[in-house]
Amino acid sequence: MKITVRFWSYFVDLTGCKQTCIEVDQGITLGQLHEQVCEQFPKLTAAKNSTLKVVDVDYQNSNFVLSDSNEVSFFPPVQGG
Amino acid sequence: MKTELTISPQRINEIALSEHQAISEKTGAVVTFSGIVRGQEGESQISAINYESFDKMVEHQFKLIFSEISKHWPIESIRLVHRIGTIKVNEVSLWVEIIASHRKEAFAACQYLINEMKNRVPIWKTPIKR
Repeated sequence: MKITVRFWSYFVDLTGCKQTCIEVDQGITLGQLHEQVCEQFPKLTAAKNSTLKVVDVDYQNSNFVLSDSNEVSFFPPVQGG
Repeated sequence: MKTELTISPQRINEIALSEHQAISEKTGAVVTFSGIVRGQEGESQISAINYESFDKMVEHQFKLIFSEISKHWPIESIRLVHRIGTIKVNEVSLWVEIIASHRKEAFAACQYLINEMKNRVPIWKTPIKR
């Protein structure tokens, strides 16, 4: 299945794109997708532990199982205000 | 509880906002907070901050926070305006108004709202150096 992955804030600079489409196996977890994305965009690896992981508009943990209707976002800690 | 959320690049007009307070016969406290862009970020002097937001998620996360507040404190009304885009030093980036019967819950809800916003609402800042 294909998952759309969006990047925000300076992750756009680290990856060189705002979003990408990644072919993954059925049953993949959010954590596994994150690993795959870090392999594809190695500059994200340094920020791996602080990366916030979102499915659609909700934060999820690494064990969340993705489906092909999901849109995933990865971004650094937020700074509103 | 009434809520009003505005995410906009428009300049925040605090006077105009204060003219539309939803005060009722139960109201005993109105707490407002204005976040202002500082001229210094760390060691650097800056002229402005560019705010970027993931709008759809910003709205969703604020709604969750408002809902949590309504479960914890008897609040009459929350209005929140967060400006996005480029905001110059000394301009308002965030305006919050909490209306309640008593100050204790109004202050507590305001503090909670801002703390939670800073933890989970997807807005990012890029300082623009002088």
